[in-house]
Amino acid sequence: MISLDAVTKRFGARLAVDNVSLTVPRGGIFGLLGHNGAGKSTSIGMLLGQVAPDAGTVSIAGVDVFADRQRALAKVGAIFETPAFYDYLTGWRNLRLFCEYSAPFDAERGREVVKLVGLEKRIIDRVATYSHGMRQRLALAQALMPKPELLILDEPSEGLDPEGIHEMRNLILRLNREWGLTILFSSHLLSEVQQLCSELAVMHEGKLLFVGNWRELDADRQWVRVQVDRQADAERGLTGAGLVDLFEYDGRGRLAPTATVPQVASWLVAQGFAVQALHPVERTLEDFYLETIHVRDAVKK
Amino acid sequence: MFATQLKNELLKLFARKRTHIGFGAFLVVQLLILAMLQLPKAKRAFSDLLTSNGYLPAEYYAGLTLGLLIIVFTISLLGGLYVALVGGDVVAKEVEDGTMRMILSRPISRLRLLTVKWIACAIYSFTLMIFLGVTSLLAGTIYRHGFGKLFVFVPQESIFSVFSTGEGLWRYARAVLVLGVVTQIITALAFMFSCCKMKPAAATILTLSVLFVDFVLRNIPYFASFQKYFISYHTACWARTFADVVAWSSIAESLVYLGALGATFWIVGAMAFCARDFKS
Repeated sequence: MISLDAVTKRFGARLAVDNVSLTVPRGGIFGLLGHNGAGKSTSIGMLLGQVAPDAGTVSIAGVDVFADRQRALAKVGAIFETPAFYDYLTGWRNLRLFCEYSAPFDAERGREVVKLVGLEKRIIDRVATYSHGMRQRLALAQALMPKPELLILDEPSEGLDPEGIHEMRNLILRLNREWGLTILFSSHLLSEVQQLCSELAVMHEGKLLFVGNWRELDADRQWVRVQVDRQADAERGLTGAGLVDLFEYDGRGRLAPTATVPQVASWLVAQGFAVQALHPVERTLEDFYLETIHVRDAVKK
Repeated sequence: MFATQLKNELLKLFARKRTHIGFGAFLVVQLLILAMLQLPKAKRAFSDLLTSNGYLPAEYYAGLTLGLLIIVFTISLLGGLYVALVGGDVVAKEVEDGTMRMILSRPISRLRLLTVKWIACAIYSFTLMIFLGVTSLLAGTIYRHGFGKLFVFVPQESIFSVFSTGEGLWRYARAVLVLGVVTQIITALAFMFSCCKMKPAAATILTLSVLFVDFVLRNIPYFASFQKYFISYHTACWARTFADVVAWSSIAESLVYLGALGATFWIVGAMAFCARDFKS
């Protein structure tokens, strides 16, 4: 559905995107993960034809965005971190106005998307009276107006309250499952990406560090949490004994392929450590992400 | 679709609170100027000018003449500023507010978007000048209970003319129309700056700076032989429509010059806009 091929973008001396190649398959929710300034928004800007790459090609559904932008974006909807509207106009008028930049306004479709995002009671109010969450929902409605096949969401949960984040997440899942939309979900909120995406790309300092299914990576390996009296000594010892491959934050470690939890417990007791906690843990996206970034930084050093 | 998009752009321009405040400000300034023209010193200077040339002040101190005086002073005080403000805002403000990025996520070509915006902006500033012409005439006419005859004195253009009511009304309407056309150069200049990577206020200030420098240079005797290169010389062609024998070739030359300059500004602005990256 989406293809970035050896794309590079520089803003002055800063390399914002560095030789990134990425393919997003049709039909799923694909996560784009990275710190602020990692290059996510620039990549999305290039996908929408708003930022011209210095090198490489960008295409959507096989159409080169910079050769035929209108055709490439014909079935694309997008929303941004802080959606902007004409505050002095009503939500409905805004919807109509943005839609009519590219196609005639279909009132029936308008009512359908307004209902889907739950704005039917406020759609005739001026946008100036909307909360951030309502603006975000209006932005989603305008993105859905052209019956898109691809929805690009750039930090859609940013600034929302917990209830709003929950609603947005459910809406995204619904759009993917019921409407069959391919969704590119860019965020630095790890918990959101974890709940929505299996397939993802991790960007860091303009580079692509990982592309694929993060859940499948190391799926056969077990993670444990170790808490003892002399934590640093224990981590060093377990790694030296070949029982644990690596330790991350908070005593979380990945067991060696042949090691088991009882073996770790026996070793700790045998070495005289006072064990406070030792239990298997599920690996989160945060673990995966931090490991990916740290490995990268270690290699760089 | 083009007509719909143009209608939407006009709606955006005319529905803004700033538009209403702007038009309101023009009315207030017009009334203030009308009040100032009632000051004894102003009245005396006006009477002296007419009587010394053998005309009866009472016949000319009426709606048409007052309307024209109000236009001249309002344009000098507010006209350029407001048109530059609107032109400077039209693209840069949308970029600043983030709505431009929302628009550009839709499959519309940048050139088409710019064309729609430019035409909307041109219609807006033209409408403003017509509004100014009508309200100035209304203010003068209501105050003096009639149109009266038209007296025009523009020393810089060597114009000293008097017209009957009918001829005066025709001349007045024609001049306001030409004024609406020549104002487009300010719109185009501000629009060009607005397309570049700068804040809306910077686009407005740059536009006013260019116009100010143009005006100052034009009035320095050293540049007298270069008159025809200055924007202010050509924008003054609206006043030349009041000459007893109108030099239409000179007016046409000015309009063509301004048209070519406006087109150049548009092309430069469009090139800057199309080459820009839009990012949050």
